[in-house]
This record gives sequence, C-alpha cells and structure tokens, in this order.
Amino acid sequence: MRLLLAEDDHILVETLKKNLQSAGYAVDVANNGIDAEYLGNEMIYDVAVLDLGLPQRNGIDVLKNWRSSGNHLPVIVLTARNAWHERVDGFKAGADDYLGKPFHFEELTARITALLHRSSQQPGGQLNTGGIILDEELQSVITGDGKNHKLTGIEFRLLRYLLLNAGQVLSKSRLTEHVYDFDSEKDSNVIEVYIRRLRQLLGKDQIETRRGQGYVFKDTA
Amino acid sequence: MHSLQSRLSTGLLLSLILCFSALWLLVSINVNFLAEEYIASRIKHDTETLLSTIDFDEKDKLVIDTSRVDLVYNQPFSGHYYVINTLDQRINSRSLWDHTLDLVNTKTGDQLRGLQQGPEQQSLLVISNGYTKQGNQLSISIAEDLGPINENIIHFQYWFAAMALSMLFILVIVQALILRSSLKPLTRIQSELKSLEQGQLDKLSTDSPIELRPLINEVNHLLSVVEQRLRRSRDASSDLAHAIKKPLTVIQQLIDNNDIPEATNNMLIKQTSDIFHLTDRILKRARLAGHSHSGALFSFSEDLPALIETLDMMYASKSVKLTINVEDNISFPIDREDMLELLGNVLDNAYKWAAHKIILTVKLESKIHLFVEDDGPGADPEKINTLSMRGIRLDEKIEGHGLGLAIAADIVTDYGGNMRFSLSNKLNGFRVDIELPLPQKK
Repeated sequence: MRLLLAEDDHILVETLKKNLQSAGYAVDVANNGIDAEYLGNEMIYDVAVLDLGLPQRNGIDVLKNWRSSGNHLPVIVLTARNAWHERVDGFKAGADDYLGKPFHFEELTARITALLHRSSQQPGGQLNTGGIILDEELQSVITGDGKNHKLTGIEFRLLRYLLLNAGQVLSKSRLTEHVYDFDSEKDSNVIEVYIRRLRQLLGKDQIETRRGQGYVFKDTA
Repeated sequence: MHSLQSRLSTGLLLSLILCFSALWLLVSINVNFLAEEYIASRIKHDTETLLSTIDFDEKDKLVIDTSRVDLVYNQPFSGHYYVINTLDQRINSRSLWDHTLDLVNTKTGDQLRGLQQGPEQQSLLVISNGYTKQGNQLSISIAEDLGPINENIIHFQYWFAAMALSMLFILVIVQALILRSSLKPLTRIQSELKSLEQGQLDKLSTDSPIELRPLINEVNHLLSVVEQRLRRSRDASSDLAHAIKKPLTVIQQLIDNNDIPEATNNMLIKQTSDIFHLTDRILKRARLAGHSHSGALFSFSEDLPALIETLDMMYASKSVKLTINVEDNISFPIDREDMLELLGNVLDNAYKWAAHKIILTVKLESKIHLFVEDDGPGADPEKINTLSMRGIRLDEKIEGHGLGLAIAADIVTDYGGNMRFSLSNKLNGFRVDIELPLPQKK
C-alpha cells in the first residue's frame, strides 16, 4: 500500500515515515501543500495522511481541490487544531477520517487500516479472502491449512495489495507503484520473484498470471 | 449625598435663595431710599413755598400768609407738618395740634435731616433748613409721615418675596426636568454596557452629549485595551498549547517505538496524555475567554447533520445508531463553534461508550434542554452524584468519561447553564443533561 504523508514537521515526518514503513506502507512525503496536492493527483496512492497546517497551501484547500477535481483518494486528516467545528469543516471538505495531534501511532495505523478496508469495500476486522487471512498487525499470513507464515516487508505489502484488490487484473507496474516509494530502487522483475514466493506459500492457483496484462488474485469468496 | 438630582436641586435652591434674598434686600433699600428722596424733594418744595409766605413786620414779628400754604398743613395730624423757628418765636402748623416736634435751630444755609416719632405713632421725616430773611435768622422744619409710603413699600416687598418664591419653585422643577432628560443618555449607556457584556456590541456608541463623550471615549479606550490584553493572553495560551502539541506528538511517536522499558514507557504515556489533555482544555478555555465568538450561529438543519456525519465517520468501525429527538424548525441564536464543541464533546463521549444506541433530545422551553443518553456501561452512581454537585475540575477526569465532558462543562459554565450526569432510564447507560439559558435575540 502506498501512502502519501503530507506533514511539514521534520522530526515527526522522520519517525512517522520509519514507523509507517515498518507497518508495511510505501511512504512518500510532501512537506508543503502544493507538493501534496500535486502528488495526491498522481493516482498512485492508496491513502493520504494530510496535516491541515501545511505551509504554502493549507490542508483544507488541498483536500477541497482534490475532491473538486474528482480525486477520491482516501484521506486521514491530521491536525493540532482539533476543535469540533474544525473537524466538521474537515469532513465537509471531504476527509474520510480525522486524527487530532498528538496521537498514538497504533491509532493512526488502526485508522489507516480501517480506512483502506472501507475504501475497498472489505468488512471490518482481518482481511480474509478464500480462507487466506492476513494479520496486518503481525504482518503474517494464515493459509487454508491453518499454518501461520511470517512475511517479509515487501511480501506483506504485495499480498495486502493483492488481497485488497482481489479479482482485479493488476499490472506489474501498478504493483510496483503501490509497493515501493519514490526512493526505492524499482525493478519490475523483482515483482515476479515475490509473486513466486507468495505462490509457494498460498498455492500455485491462488495468483493467476494473465499474459501481457498482469496478475489476478482469485476472489473465491 | 448620593443623588446627583438632590445635590443639584439643593445647590440650586440655596444659591437661588441667596440670590433672591440679596436682590430683595437691595431692591428694598433702594425703594426706601427713593421714597425718602421723593418725599425729601416734596418737602423741599413745600419749604420754599413756605419761605415765600413768611414775612416780618416792622417789629420783626413773623407773619405767615396762610392762604398760600397747602391746606394739608391745616388738618390736624394730617401727616404734613411745619415748624418755623426764629430766635425768639416759633410757629407750628395747625396740623400739629398740640404735638411738639423735637427740633434744634439750624444756622443759615444748613440743612438737617432726621427721623422722629410724630403724633399718633407716625414716623416722620423731618428736614430743617436755616435761612436769613429780612435780616432775621429763621429755620423752617417740615415733617412728613412716611407711614403710607412705607406701607406701600412693605406691600411691594411681600409681592416681591412671593414672586421670588414662586420663581424659585419653578426654577427648581425646571432644573429637575432638564437634569432628568440630560441623564437619559446614561440610561442608554447602561443598556449598551449590558449588551457589551453579552458580546453583542464591541464598543459604546459615541452619539451622546458632549459632556459624556470623554467618558465614553475613555470606556471605549479601556475596552480596546482590555480586549487587546485579553487577545494577547488568549493568543499566548493558544499558541503555547499548539506549540506544545508538536513536540508532544514526536514524544508520543518515540514512546510507541517500544525500545523503552515498559514501566517507564507507561509512565511516559500517562504523563504525555495528561499534558495533552490539559493543553487541549486550556486551548478551548482560551477560545471561550472573552467571547471571541465567530459570529456564525448554529443551525439545527445544517450543522447537526454535519456533526453526526462526522461522528459516524470517526466511529465507522462501531455500529452505533444515533436517534435525534429534535422538534422541527427548532432554532435559537447560539454561537456555531461553541455549540459544535459542546455537542461534539458530549456526543463523542457517548459514541465512545455506547454499545449500539444513542439518543439526543433537544427541547426548547424557558431554557434550552439537551439530553444525551447511551446504552454503554454508565458509571458508578455515587461518583456521578459527587460530580454533579461540584463540577469537573481541570485536573480530574470522570472514570472513563474524560476530557470531552470537562470541556463541555466549561462551555456550559461560560453560558451560565448547568450540566448534570445520571444513569439513563431508557438505555441503562450514561446520561448527560444540559440546561442553557435562552440567549437574548440580537
């Protein structure tokens, strides 16, 4: 899952980015409103964490601009100004969730997870597709035979993206976009390696290859 | 003396009494003087007439041609008398009858003037002149009764006093009326000060008498100074609260990193969350201070659904159903931000604890009544009672029902309302009752 973090406080960005990455997100940072709006319109993000007090263009305007241009990127608003009228105005501008500063990182990840599930029309709780259960907290997968397999960072990101988009044809470049951030070295051949590894865990037929198109995670549910 | 009115009236009364008395005295003295002078000039004429009637025969005997003397000198006690003295003779007018005037001889060219008692208690002005006629020295004294003219003078004085008194009376009443009407702007200023307190005005109108303008300007100046100071301290505390949040957020992220021993970590978590709650409450108090209201009014048809949508989004993972029990077209003028903050905090608390159901009831009677009930676990009844009685202090939280209710309580207090907690009869959970006085329409 690729996440846009729009926040201008360097120290906070540093810790948040590190924590979000280890929680299984490819994170890109925008430290001002104009960059944030531009990146958000790139259509490669699954979720954005948007601080309202951004320099150059404030978060509410960024959000309004996204929504008025038809961009439905799920957005969690992050702000130190957490009066209720500001929350209501934030939601009116199109926010999907709201988190007041300061916050616990667990709360942020819980909200991001819930928002991702909601936006891909998944029921609450754990991701469960055809008996394959993804534990997003422990970053492990429980296969049909009840066995629990630990996943590496990229495996986890890849499997989560596949599960959240089960039944859809996903190209290699799309998978790359949603698994890596800008700073990572991208090699779409590496995706094949990870798909092979996932097939070993989940069974060969779970992930279909569509030649010239990409991969489909079979939605057997 | 506390009453401006009675002070001014007394002052006016005293000065007018003084003024009229002085006037009365002056006029009386003058009238007396004029009357005496008038009589004196009449006497002078009579003296000259008399002198011309006097003749001395060859034996130097004094002879008067009485036919040329005014008749009034012949009527007994008429009030007009004469006495002519030579060295050895004395002629009294017939009008004197048997009365004798007390006189001294006057040398030629001299004049004496005096007052003395005449017959029948008459008060006489006596003027004696000394002459030399046909080689004989003589003095003519003519006396006239001042009684009739004095009577007139006294009559005039009474009239004058009566006029002065009634004028005094009228002036005092007129002054009271003027005073009352010129104090009217003060009544207006008083009502303006009242709306100032309620935040409906931000300064006094300067459209008032010139005498009051410096006062109004001073009050307005004071207001802007106070407002400035208030804003400065409000901004300072709000800036501080916001500034604290940044490092606090970072600290919280560090705590979450798990490389700190658990006991220390828990302590840090507690301390940071306490700091956060205090900051948040101070922030909201700072906003409430001095009625820095946004001006926009809360709308039940627009703001309430938006708030509920917000809460539904925030608690999307819970399946809580909020039932709204609000009369149609209910409306009262109340600040939008304050009302959102109040309802937001109370409803947020309910969403946090409710299992499935929340009921919000709004009633408009002589006061505004808001009830929020949930089907959560409620709270210990004893604790609820003590809380209801003494209110919520800054540093304390109701078990589980925390900061939000404290902020709500601050708002309610600021509006002069009251807030009670109990257990809900309908839903068996927590119940918050809020009563707000009806705001005056602007």
